[in-house]
Amino acid sequence: MRRIYLDHSATTPVDKRVVHAMLPYLTEKFGNASSVHQMGQEARAGLDRARRQIAAFIGAQANEIVFTSGGTEANNLAIRGIAEAAQSHGRHLIISAFEHPSVRASADVLEKRGWEVTILPVYEEGLVRIADVRTALRPDTILISVMMANNEIGTVQPIAEIGSLVRSERESGHRNIWFHTDAVQAAGRLPLDVSVLGCDLLSLSAHKIYAPKGTGALFVRKGVRLALQQHGGHQERERRGGTEAVANIVAFGAAAELAQKEMAERNENVRRLRDRFEEQLSARIEDFAFNGDRNSRLPHLSNISFRFIEGEGLLIHLDMQGVAVSTGSACSSGTIEPSPVIRALGRDDELARGSIRFSFGKDNTDEDVDYAVEMTVRAVQGLRQLSPLSQPSAVVV
Amino acid sequence: MSYSEKFQDYIAHPRNAGELSDANAVAEETNPVCGDRLRLGLRVRDGFIEAARFLAYGCPPTLVCGSALAEMLEGMTIEDANRLTKDKIVAAVGGLPARKHHAAALAIETLHAAINKAK
Repeated sequence: MRRIYLDHSATTPVDKRVVHAMLPYLTEKFGNASSVHQMGQEARAGLDRARRQIAAFIGAQANEIVFTSGGTEANNLAIRGIAEAAQSHGRHLIISAFEHPSVRASADVLEKRGWEVTILPVYEEGLVRIADVRTALRPDTILISVMMANNEIGTVQPIAEIGSLVRSERESGHRNIWFHTDAVQAAGRLPLDVSVLGCDLLSLSAHKIYAPKGTGALFVRKGVRLALQQHGGHQERERRGGTEAVANIVAFGAAAELAQKEMAERNENVRRLRDRFEEQLSARIEDFAFNGDRNSRLPHLSNISFRFIEGEGLLIHLDMQGVAVSTGSACSSGTIEPSPVIRALGRDDELARGSIRFSFGKDNTDEDVDYAVEMTVRAVQGLRQLSPLSQPSAVVV
Repeated sequence: MSYSEKFQDYIAHPRNAGELSDANAVAEETNPVCGDRLRLGLRVRDGFIEAARFLAYGCPPTLVCGSALAEMLEGMTIEDANRLTKDKIVAAVGGLPARKHHAAALAIETLHAAINKAK
């Protein structure tokens, strides 16, 4: 059976060039980067190079990069690390309504411990409005965390505007306020420059940019203090204990360099494929809605809600035909949880239950798109034939 | 994907789907928690179910259980249909993870509602 992967927002395959870069660090250069001997120092050199590559990827200094086990840990370290370090200055946080669960859950934990959290609405278009950020600000606000691009619908948030708002806030005397952005989905798809964005912290994940799972990074602007979340290790300049996953980090550095070099070409390709997909689908089926502002979203992603049917059914139909996609809603123990992201857009339950994310990657082709369109049309039509929502009249099969 | 071959076959080739134009017992039940819906139409004569059709909206197990139920009902007496259980539906679709058993429960509820209308 043909297999077509259209779930690049979930994870990406490791680029062969990245595998090639990391392999020596699994075998002959396997040393512990903290060891003093030569073999340790070889590993250290690989780690240092990767740190420079990641720093260059986002316009930062190498010593501002803290390697973590992934995006989730980076987000936890940023939110809880700042909140705990800055609690004498204030206990108020601002986040958006559709942050990744690692941000949302970190904020929830703090809320239970006495912090206050303001949730910014994202409206039907899936975008944070700068006026809402301004209104939410309080003298005791210590952290704003807004993702750069949403993981489910890909809408790109006004990060640079929030960054300059935070800067002017500081200039007017509100000095103890920091700005974090989760750039896990944006990385490799949007240019990242922490000076332009005006953020103090920025999260990255390796496996979204064609490197292996299990590695991420947090940019921490020089002078920003974080409360330790991992105790018992001096690594990462005392900011994250634990032996560094050198081979993975080397891969992350190599992948970031490639992503930067090839970004324009990759984006042009995925945008063309995504547009081809949406055009063909629009011509062949009705009663569906694109989720999120189509003019302000990542180039590789299309999130669509199909009326009368449920996302999981469509996902399984597509999977049986070899097409891998994802849905934000999940059904378990008799309770359906419509996608919280689609819900945050104000969509009704039926649309929130029928959403599917198609996310294209650098190695997809026109043929992949055409096949996926054909299978999607067939599956949607088949499921609609079974649906009591789309069949008020009598049809006997 | 952790579903059985039987389950996948029902997904790929749903049986007994659609509306029954001459049904004399139709019921539609909704799982109030998750919103899944199942519509079942029966043509009942002299205590026998001559024909059964289903329509379903919801997660794949709801679709599959609806199809398996309608398929097994054809030719059954009302008495036997009344004796069907959730476990029999689960077995008919080749097993279901425990967290999806509510789909078979919805099928049985809808069956009972339809039989009540046939009386």
